[in-house]
Amino acid sequence: MNALPQQLVNGLLLGSMYGLVAIGYTMVYGIVQLINFAHGEIFMTGAFGALTVYVYILPNGTSMWVALPLMLIGAILVAVLVAVGAERFAYRPLRNAPRLAPLITAIGLSLALQQAVWAWYPDAKSARTFPQISGGPFHIGSVTIQTGDIFLLVAAPISMAVLGYFVMKTRTGRGMQATAQDPDTAKLMGVNTDRIIVIAFALGATFAAVGAVAYGLKYGQIDFRIGFILGLKAFTAAVLGGIGNIYGAMIGGVVLGIAETLATAYISNIPGMGKFGSQSWADVWAFVLLILVLLFRPQGLLGERVADRA
Amino acid sequence: MRQRSLIAITAALAAGALTLTACGSRSGDKGSSGSSGGTTVTIGVDAPLTGDLSAIGLGIKNSVDLAVNTANKQNYVKGVTFKIEALDDQAQPSSGQQNASKLVADNSVLGAVGPLNSSVAQSMQKVFDDAKLVEVSPANTNPALTQGTNWQKTKARPYKSYFRTATTDAIQGPFAAQYVYNTAKKKKVFVIDDKKTYGAGLAATFTEEFKKLGGQIVGTEHINPDTKDFSAVATEVKNSGAEAVYYGGEYPQSGPLSKQIKATGAKIPVVGGDGMYDPTYIKLAGSDSTGDLATSVGAPVDTLDSAKQFVANYKSAGYKEAYAAYGGYSYDSAWAIIEAVKKVVEDNGGKLPSDARAKVTAAVQNVSFDGVTGKVSFDEFGDATNKQLTVYAVQNGAWKPVQSGTYTG
Amino acid sequence: MSGVGPVEPGEGTRPKDAPDREAPPLLVRPRGRLAGRYDRHRRAVLTAAAAAVLLAGGGYLYATRPQMPPPPAPPYPAQVVDMIYLNSGAAPESTPTRAFTFAVALRVQSGPPVTVTRITQPYAGLSVSSAPRPPFRTNAGSTRTIAITMHVTECGKVPEGAGLPFLDVTLRNTRAIQMQSFILGSRYAHDLSEALQAACSNRFR
Repeated sequence: MNALPQQLVNGLLLGSMYGLVAIGYTMVYGIVQLINFAHGEIFMTGAFGALTVYVYILPNGTSMWVALPLMLIGAILVAVLVAVGAERFAYRPLRNAPRLAPLITAIGLSLALQQAVWAWYPDAKSARTFPQISGGPFHIGSVTIQTGDIFLLVAAPISMAVLGYFVMKTRTGRGMQATAQDPDTAKLMGVNTDRIIVIAFALGATFAAVGAVAYGLKYGQIDFRIGFILGLKAFTAAVLGGIGNIYGAMIGGVVLGIAETLATAYISNIPGMGKFGSQSWADVWAFVLLILVLLFRPQGLLGERVADRA
Repeated sequence: MRQRSLIAITAALAAGALTLTACGSRSGDKGSSGSSGGTTVTIGVDAPLTGDLSAIGLGIKNSVDLAVNTANKQNYVKGVTFKIEALDDQAQPSSGQQNASKLVADNSVLGAVGPLNSSVAQSMQKVFDDAKLVEVSPANTNPALTQGTNWQKTKARPYKSYFRTATTDAIQGPFAAQYVYNTAKKKKVFVIDDKKTYGAGLAATFTEEFKKLGGQIVGTEHINPDTKDFSAVATEVKNSGAEAVYYGGEYPQSGPLSKQIKATGAKIPVVGGDGMYDPTYIKLAGSDSTGDLATSVGAPVDTLDSAKQFVANYKSAGYKEAYAAYGGYSYDSAWAIIEAVKKVVEDNGGKLPSDARAKVTAAVQNVSFDGVTGKVSFDEFGDATNKQLTVYAVQNGAWKPVQSGTYTG
Repeated sequence: MSGVGPVEPGEGTRPKDAPDREAPPLLVRPRGRLAGRYDRHRRAVLTAAAAAVLLAGGGYLYATRPQMPPPPAPPYPAQVVDMIYLNSGAAPESTPTRAFTFAVALRVQSGPPVTVTRITQPYAGLSVSSAPRPPFRTNAGSTRTIAITMHVTECGKVPEGAGLPFLDVTLRNTRAIQMQSFILGSRYAHDLSEALQAACSNRFR
């Protein structure tokens, strides 16, 4: 049986998740040149927000079709709140400080958020199970798709389309583009840059929250550490796709996800490479790919669309 | 160009962040201590108290606390009050070593219980041994820790101060292989491990025995324990035609792994070792985990009266977390140290001698008492002489014992 | 005080808060009925009271007894039985060629006698018999040597080798029946593999 289509779908799913989170990195970077390392934790708090809605707010045994939209709202609410709070209290005071200061703040914030969830969320010291959509897996030819993955397959492209429309067509979106190109001039032209920055954080958090719900549905469990590795991967995806470019983030995510999956599945079949083919090596291959891409296209896959400011 | 250098710095910081979280949040947990005058002896505890494995780690800490409280309540060693000093190693060898140094530096520490992970134990053994401070692990199963790296050929004990109450993988892996091949009648197995000392060692001993028995290994894979996405591996397992999966590693990974393998439509059991024998596994693996197997050290709790007593005492002590897979072994580990301290104090006319650490280490070698898990004593390598193993299967959402064995080599 | 009625009634136990001088009638009044009966049945009442005190005291002691219940249930058989591989004895003359005999020592440490009801082994292509033939009983503290013979029934199915072969022994005592696998160690594994190889390489002779 040929496993390639299945492995490609596995990679696409993993990559879409990276992409959803990567959007947050790329938007914030595009506008304030800050790598928001706490973004992975914003993703994580979103997942716990969704869990809270399901476990503590909705009555027991609510149908997932009713619960899912409410969980999504809960996830977005929590993630946006945390992100906007972080922007207001951690990053805004450092807006004019040297670049390293907010970066280190971001790392500190990331640890603080992890530990806060670990310490105060009920039973979060080990993994908590996430509600699942019932119903068997779907088979398309030799490809099996889990019910929980459908959400991701639907949500990722819709989110991208909505984001594209928002940035390109709306007034606020154009304000974002203007701020990204030159914040000072944008301000002079009457763009409220503070508001734009808050919106960028909130939008990034929204996508992270969508990704978080998808994560919970896909893996059936969440814990306080899920944001860390996923955040690093998403950051990598953002760089791979060209940081600052929203489409690049999604493409970078998908490329990274597929690269990891294929590396896991196929490298060990190459004669002499058996040792380097297991999943524990997949990250290595993913980063080899990143280095290769950056060697030939330092701006990332789609990086040229954003004006390079130096 | 400032942007490029920013990305470079960012990348460096990202690496830094990785290390930071690795040693973040350490909670020096001062255990309960009675203060009835006399000498205070500290028993150190090193286990992952935070992170993925904290469910097991906190069970270890609480069980040691229970042992210490019991000894204090009974005034078991006259003139000596015990207390615990619990340190968090987050399952990281580097943290474990720091904790070992910290315990060694505290003069009141006369023994340590822990760690959970064999890889962490490797980084701690020498530190403890140099200080002649006894270390009793309730959970390490890697044979090399007591029998030397070359244990398959010549057994040589590397550290005189290291003991363990758990049974080694040298028995556990083959025991699982025998069960899978002979009793469950699975002849084709896919072997997966997490590349850590424990997981890789267990997978290796399983593989060796399974091949000897005539079984076929249809594939091997090493997963990355930091991720939760095993879909690529699960697809490989499905296409390999395996009748069972053997996983060397712990439940935070094997739970999702089992779930994702079952999700591909491959309805085959996942078999693992004691690192998988935890209720959390069933929670993580979901309802499809029925029929999954795990070997664990020791006899089933309901066939051991001393263990039932322990369970009742643990419950009435009101600990928040379950005693988990190693509760009984942790209690016995702590009690071995308490017994040794008692012997040393009694031999010295009711006082602690000046070279208490070395004396306690020597005394642990000769302890023999009826513990929670049966008779507790150590052989010339520091391994428990009581070697029992049980195969558990997931039935109705809980682990149920299906076969028990006693090793009398 | 005659011992009847409360010596010092607690507050509110009296119908009215009687002053002290009303005490004598309180004591005297029962003399009419209750004390009369007491006089008549004094011995019986005293015996009953003593028995009640004894029972209460015993009950209290029983309830607050230190931890272990008085008759500890006997341990599970697998927890008290040791089985040690002794040697591979030379096969008796009568044993057919494709067989292998060895001795194990079975020791019961404590508790009630343990009966071995069945000895099996898990490999395909092998069957097992023992002398003495099960079921046999072993008392606590005693050791019994058992000669176990493995018969090769089908060489094709016999494992090439085994690192930790075991014997499945069904044990019974007054507490439970348990099947326990005894892993007899590397010496047994070595002897067994050798014997199996010898037995199966002989099949064409």
